[in-house]
Amino acid sequence: MSFRERLQAWRYNLIPDHLVGEILTKRWTDNAIPFLVLVATVAAFGTSIPGFFKPFSLQESTRQLGEFSIVVTGLTVVMLGGGIDLSVGSIFALATFAAVSGFFIFELPVWAAFLMAIGTGIAFGALNGYLIGFRRLRAFLTTLVTFIIGRAVFDILVVNYGAAIQTSSASSDVWDFIGDGSIYRISIPVLTALALAIITHIALTRSRPGWHVLAVGGSRRSAHNAGIKVKQTVFMTYVYSGFCASLAGFLIACRLSGAGPGTGLNMEILALTAAVVGGNSLGGGRGSVVKGLMGAIIVLVMNNGLIRLGYGTGTNQMVIGLMLAIAVIIDIRWLKNRHKVLNEVYVAPVYLKMGETQSAVPGSASPYALNNAISKTDYIGLGALEGPEDVILDRDDHLYCGTRHGEIIRYFAPDYSRSEVFAHIGGFPLGLAFDRDGNLISCVGAMGLYSISPDREVKRLSAETRRSWTSVQDDARLRDPNDLDIAPDGRIYFTDSTKRYDAHDWALDSIENRATGRLLVYDPKTGETKTLLDGYRYMNGVCMAHDGKSLFFAESWACRVHRYWLEGPKAGTAECVIKDMPGYPDNINRASDGTYWMAWLGMRTPSFDLSLRHPGFRKRMTRRLPQDDWLFPNINTGGVVKFDETGRIIGTLGDLTGQSHPMVTSMREHKGHLFIGGILNNRVGRLRLEGADEGWTGPLSYWGERA
Amino acid sequence: MTIFDPILDFFRGKAVTVPPLDGAFRPNRRLDEATVAGAIASPIDLAVYDGALVVASGNAVHRLESDGSFAVHAIFPAPVSALAVSTDGRLAVALETGALSVDGQAIALPDDIRSITALAFSPDGTLFLANGSQKNAPSAWKRDLMEKQASGSLWRVGSEGARKVAGGLAWPQGIAFAGGRLIASESWTRRLVAIDPDTGAISTALANIPGYAGRITPLSVGGFALSVFAPVNRLIEFVLQEDTYRTDMLREVDPACWIAPMLSSGRSFLEPLQCGGIKTMGIHKPWAPSLSYGLLARLDASLHPVDSYHSRADGNRHGIFGAAEKDGHLYTISAGGDVLLDLGEGQTA
Repeated sequence: MSFRERLQAWRYNLIPDHLVGEILTKRWTDNAIPFLVLVATVAAFGTSIPGFFKPFSLQESTRQLGEFSIVVTGLTVVMLGGGIDLSVGSIFALATFAAVSGFFIFELPVWAAFLMAIGTGIAFGALNGYLIGFRRLRAFLTTLVTFIIGRAVFDILVVNYGAAIQTSSASSDVWDFIGDGSIYRISIPVLTALALAIITHIALTRSRPGWHVLAVGGSRRSAHNAGIKVKQTVFMTYVYSGFCASLAGFLIACRLSGAGPGTGLNMEILALTAAVVGGNSLGGGRGSVVKGLMGAIIVLVMNNGLIRLGYGTGTNQMVIGLMLAIAVIIDIRWLKNRHKVLNEVYVAPVYLKMGETQSAVPGSASPYALNNAISKTDYIGLGALEGPEDVILDRDDHLYCGTRHGEIIRYFAPDYSRSEVFAHIGGFPLGLAFDRDGNLISCVGAMGLYSISPDREVKRLSAETRRSWTSVQDDARLRDPNDLDIAPDGRIYFTDSTKRYDAHDWALDSIENRATGRLLVYDPKTGETKTLLDGYRYMNGVCMAHDGKSLFFAESWACRVHRYWLEGPKAGTAECVIKDMPGYPDNINRASDGTYWMAWLGMRTPSFDLSLRHPGFRKRMTRRLPQDDWLFPNINTGGVVKFDETGRIIGTLGDLTGQSHPMVTSMREHKGHLFIGGILNNRVGRLRLEGADEGWTGPLSYWGERA
Repeated sequence: MTIFDPILDFFRGKAVTVPPLDGAFRPNRRLDEATVAGAIASPIDLAVYDGALVVASGNAVHRLESDGSFAVHAIFPAPVSALAVSTDGRLAVALETGALSVDGQAIALPDDIRSITALAFSPDGTLFLANGSQKNAPSAWKRDLMEKQASGSLWRVGSEGARKVAGGLAWPQGIAFAGGRLIASESWTRRLVAIDPDTGAISTALANIPGYAGRITPLSVGGFALSVFAPVNRLIEFVLQEDTYRTDMLREVDPACWIAPMLSSGRSFLEPLQCGGIKTMGIHKPWAPSLSYGLLARLDASLHPVDSYHSRADGNRHGIFGAAEKDGHLYTISAGGDVLLDLGEGQTA
């Protein structure tokens, strides 16, 4: 191995590139950028302003932050619902005035002043909501109008009644406590903000109205089609925003005991910046309260920090404006390109040097030499069947196979010209096996392990195993359950081929070639699923040995067959029995003469084997070429291989014409015939086997005579 | 396209693009539907000599008899690589070894000429030849492409000996004469070049051909038939960018299994397969990416493509190596399909 090649092997096998793609699939990566900005902002101002972290300084900052984040929380809800609310500043100011006037001018009790403030906010919010939700006006213009009018009303009121407020002598302990007090050294506004954030977060993520808001924001039309009351939902978001703004207004009224021309000035700009900088999408549907809070902290720290560093109002506004611009650009670009980035980085190939293989070329005198033995079979279901990955026959000679439409089709003996949908499961039914009681057990791609009783009752047996400790992606879920077999004690051994790709993308896994296949066992007595083996390159077919003491399983992309011992001295361990085949093995099944049939889904090609030693080549290929142009293993030619208990190859059947069975994924012997299926084929083939035991059937071999 | 793309391209590389089959190159099945005039293994060139079609295949030039069978016209010590017939009926034959003969008379050539890929007589009867490469013989064209060679040249064979007209060409495989200019196909750059016979100045006459252009045959109605012997393929273009993989492939892999253009494909399971070429539900998509293809294009007198004959990914008349016109019919040879095809009457109009 050359030095360059060894370097490649280290580079691609030791650096976990695949984690980048797996992390990007997580929703929480949306929070990463705002969180980093938050940390950077706090760190920068914390170090450049002396005393930034002193208790008094923090106390004052956090009171302001409490009020501000309440407003941002309300605005976040509106934005999640697909709208925008520019009137939060004027609602905030009017609510402050309502509280102050109620308390100081009318000398009402605190609770009445509180209700006046909240009432003002809800009234304005309802006006916005009515115009935007029910009258279908533009959110931007409507709230701009309420913002201007609200501000104007506030200015008039302040000019006329400002003096009356200041000269009032009304006072209340409750009022002062709300304004200045703290519980466990945490001020009331912060407590309120926290409580509101938690309630809102739970409502958005765990309650029906919250989901409705997100659904409406994500897609109004889809939400409408799904039966969500879009108009009411939009209306309620504005009411909620008005409520939040007025709650904050009441708190600042208590703290400052007055209202002036500066109250709530520019608050809509700050709040909007905070919500967007936090990572809430302007388009709606994506975001969270936590993002709003992060944005609120960033904006406030930045704003106050710049003031304390001595910069003027102009600079301050400029910085806020620039932040908003950058956040909006990132928001749009990220939303638009996230899936592209994910597509580009997800396939993360590894290095593998395949072993030298014997030739499968006809006439090469190797036991693997392909021929045209299965190029002429009797077709079953030609043109009507799509994707019979596995085929199986029951005691009455009926034939069963899965289709890509998620159905199990039954073809009736003796001529297999009549068929019916035996059961509909969904997903892509792959491996099949009968248990002792005649239940048909199936590995359903993208779903899990299912059982279909003779009277067609479909039951899920397993869809998950224990999650491994080091997984980033949730590997408890079965992504590509592929084949199964059943031990004499009833336990079901099955494979999950890859943790990286869903069942329909199975061929992509060959390009990546990462070893993530697993052998699992389902125990029908306890209903539990356990992982027995992990880390194989596309673990595929499983077959119980004739004596039931071990099982064979295929490792497709490594072209190997292994034997896993269930009992005896080697119990619980696996050993490789066939290696370096010229084809990629798929399902394995018993043959009547005590040996085994193995399907080849495709053939190794020199060009693909070479590409496995050039992971960088494959990685760039997936990025620069459209998928249709990618280099694949040759899965247009397959075959059927017979081997014995020791792994000796007895013979190979092939279809070099590619007319009948280009790819073979399974075969099943039954009463002197071989039934052949292919996941990309549109037929099942039946081939007469000369000299095979005419009475041998699978159910008989596994479970003996009918009980 | 954004302003970031050039920056990102630096890290991820540019997307590999190929010219689309559109306009005059819109796909059809005319080559697959054409009548077979005769079956012949791996034909390499075609001409009309003495009132009959002659086809170069293997070590011999074969003559098409009226009953559709082939009779051996002449046998040579090495495989024939090109043919040409002059207006006054002289037959020039080039061999794989670099030997050239006219009407059986050997012509002495400089040592530089070792890979004669095309012959043509100019209207005044002078013989021109294309030397595909300094390094590789005509049958090793695949290696020449994958080695990214550009060492071909054009020669004028006059009575005073051979004189080089132009050099530095990436596998010239066709010669024609149009309006006093010498036209040559430059396969690996997928273009036709016009060469001033006196100065040797080269200019592009037709670019972005969706395949590797070969022989150029003048038609009686004006214009030309351009044989395109293999398709441009994104994966091949990509491999040409990937130098370490490419050199390892050249060193370790049998040329029949290379990721490289072919004259026929899908016949061995050791050949590379691309995702789009997977047979699904018994269907091989005609528009699948393929390493071989059948394409004969018709160009007008100013070398603009006007029409084309195709055999697509699911067809088998691939590897079009030449065309000839006889009795108003256009004939072509498919090296991948091992046939001489009659494209019918009126097709040349």
